[in-house]
Amino acid sequence: MKTIEEQLWDYIDGNLSSSEAKIIEDKINSDADFKLQYEALLNLDLAFSKIELDEPSMSFNRNVMESVALEAAPVAMKTKVNTSIIYGIGGFFIVSLMALFGYVLFNADIKFSDFDLKLNTDFNLDKYMTPTMLYGFLFTDLVLGLVFIDYLLRKKIAHK
Amino acid sequence: MEQKLTDLMLIQNVLNGDSAQYALLVKRHQRFVFTLALRFAKNREDAEEIAQDCFIKAYKALGTFKQTAKFSTWLYTITYTTAMTFLRKKRLNTSSINDEETFIQLENHTSSFNADGYERRDSHRYLNQAIQLLMPDDAIIITMFYQGEQSLEEIGKMLNVEPNTIKVKLHRARHRLKEKLQDLLQDEVKELL
Repeated sequence: MKTIEEQLWDYIDGNLSSSEAKIIEDKINSDADFKLQYEALLNLDLAFSKIELDEPSMSFNRNVMESVALEAAPVAMKTKVNTSIIYGIGGFFIVSLMALFGYVLFNADIKFSDFDLKLNTDFNLDKYMTPTMLYGFLFTDLVLGLVFIDYLLRKKIAHK
Repeated sequence: MEQKLTDLMLIQNVLNGDSAQYALLVKRHQRFVFTLALRFAKNREDAEEIAQDCFIKAYKALGTFKQTAKFSTWLYTITYTTAMTFLRKKRLNTSSINDEETFIQLENHTSSFNADGYERRDSHRYLNQAIQLLMPDDAIIITMFYQGEQSLEEIGKMLNVEPNTIKVKLHRARHRLKEKLQDLLQDEVKELL
């Protein structure tokens, strides 16, 4: 059950339905004590709304901006995560895997005529993991990384 | 006539690389953020530190701000959490607002205030004194509702509480503020307000 004060605050704040507000209005008009209480709360409400905000020191804004200058510029999330780059990198790995799979299939001795599937099970991975291939793979990664950084820097310059 | 840029326009400009525009956002909200911080910290130095920390956090997270909500609501949420963290770090006793020491300080403050010859009973001054005597949560709710012009729903979002609970808390906070004012002013509360 709401107290009279709570009902009056709800009325002042406009939190009541029109029918509830009408009941309070009628009470204010008919009951002198109720009206007095309403007017006191109304005065308080007015006084509370006039509480002044405090002012920080004169150097506050400058201090904030000096600290902000040391931080990395904020970037919108959309710019941060560029889906085409993610897809590009993902695509590269898929193509690499498919190429590797195709190469394995190509080297496998498969005969479909008699369903005698003879996979080249003595596939020697060490044979293919040569330093040249490893360097090639790392070089491709490096190139992709540089392309990504270049893209970000270009975008940043374009915004300035 | 130059049109005033909205908060969202300023944010967009900052995100597009014009960091200097952030100064306008700070200027626009610094008084309120500082006041909120002061409700927790109770001294200007700490409040400035909280407010400054809050604006730096907001700057760093500006890219994550969902522009469907009001910037002020988002900023005040950061202020609230920053102030809470600050209080935890400082280990301030936030629940001892009503203790004897506080009243002694207030009495001393008031008497020295009178002794200096400033006897003008300024209602704003007393209101600010009274609000400083409230528990931080009460003071925050009153400040957000009246000075921040935030709705019960927005305050609820900030404090992670249901709007109905905020409504009840607001009623109680106003009641306590009225009591503090009465304590401060005795019989003068009616004529002052």
